[in-house]
Amino acid sequence: MNEIVDIGPWQLAAAYLLLVFPLAIILWYRIPMLGETVISLIRMTVQLLLVGLYLQVIFRLNILWLNAAWLLVMVIVADVSIVRSCGLRLRQIALPLFLALAAGTAVPLMLFTGLILRRPNLLDAQYAIPIGGMILGNCLRADIVGIRTFYESIRSTEKAFLQSLAEGASLPEAIRPYVRKATQAALAPTVATMATIGLVSLPGMMTGVILGGASPATAIKYQISIMISIFSGTAITVALGIRLTTRSSFTPYGLLDLTVFRNRSKK
Amino acid sequence: MTNALEAKDLEIRFGGQVVLRGFSLALSVGEKALLTGPSGCGKSTVLRTFLGFVVPGAGAVYINGTQLTTDTVWRLRQRVAYVGQEPDLGTGTAAQAIERPFHYRANAGLRRNLDRIPELFDQFNLAHELLHKDVGALSGGEKQRIALVSAILLDRRIFLLDEITSALDKVSKQAVADYFRSREDATVLIVAHDPEVFSFVRRVIELPCNPKTRGTA
Repeated sequence: MNEIVDIGPWQLAAAYLLLVFPLAIILWYRIPMLGETVISLIRMTVQLLLVGLYLQVIFRLNILWLNAAWLLVMVIVADVSIVRSCGLRLRQIALPLFLALAAGTAVPLMLFTGLILRRPNLLDAQYAIPIGGMILGNCLRADIVGIRTFYESIRSTEKAFLQSLAEGASLPEAIRPYVRKATQAALAPTVATMATIGLVSLPGMMTGVILGGASPATAIKYQISIMISIFSGTAITVALGIRLTTRSSFTPYGLLDLTVFRNRSKK
Repeated sequence: MTNALEAKDLEIRFGGQVVLRGFSLALSVGEKALLTGPSGCGKSTVLRTFLGFVVPGAGAVYINGTQLTTDTVWRLRQRVAYVGQEPDLGTGTAAQAIERPFHYRANAGLRRNLDRIPELFDQFNLAHELLHKDVGALSGGEKQRIALVSAILLDRRIFLLDEITSALDKVSKQAVADYFRSREDATVLIVAHDPEVFSFVRRVIELPCNPKTRGTA
């Protein structure tokens, strides 16, 4: 297989020419998203340039603690992003959710690099950072759905929840139906993706491996492994995320502590 | 003799405002009482305080002589049956809603009580076919009576009843009243807007109302 073709600065500039079409459509129909689009494009360019430069250094150095620190930063950014997206308070949720995200990313990542790829260095930058990023990105999406579903369902059906406590349920028993509903909602997109993968479009990792010069046969093995790792990571992070955050979000009487919500009024 | 239900010098606040101050009550075992007072004075709140759903700012509540605290609340909830005005029976059929509490470890030994469902359905004028009906399709009155059946099956000796006859017809109201009149062993604290239904209850506890906070509880 051939080595991947690099993109020079002028060729990259040519990619921006493709913006003519969406920008023309936005202007022609006067869709009120021109400013937002331009800001997003600038942010994408600057963010990726910075990340690219930083990763170049990390890949060149390939020092274990630096790779681990980079993954840690990614987990912290994801953690804060999830808590904010769910409308919850950082003070009560951030730490337990961080632990759940770290476990949901680290466990499948370590198995991927150690057991599947058999790398002597489990945190080899070339593998750990892109694979860890893919797992973490999916954990982030799953946690936003799962954690939000869990807390909002209990808040919106408070009467049924309290009734179960009145009927003698322990806290784990009372929250079980909500954990079930939230976990199902969080895992459903990955399950649906696995069912249609390869039919609708070529998945990201497979495309990357093929562009990197490997054969499609190698690419599908990577893709299968990453899909299972993502599924495993999302299941771990959602189940653990709910379990660990309940310790700080329920009162000793088993009631949902409404201070966990940034907006305390019921929706 | 130990009281089944007792509240001592309760103070309850909502949003910084005092709803109830210095309120006390005591019900001995087997006693029945109506809790009355203008709407919004905290009658439901008092019932919920006995379940730990409302935590008083001052004072304490006791069930069978044990103070309700963070350590005892889980055990004490197993002594009390609570039926609310508009019960949320969750999802599924009425039979599933009635069976749900028996999956909890605390009620695992009570599963045989489910055999009493037909008898209790007859007693409260509920058609047996309703057991297979989705709870979302039940009327308000049917939900109230099914919640009551579910509470009775849990074999508790203390009942906290919050407007449980508000959606019932005259015959069903009478059936509910007859049931509690016959339960000499049961201690019952009732909040009702139609107290004449429970005419057999001799004791009436009037809740002092703070006009400034009326309607907040």
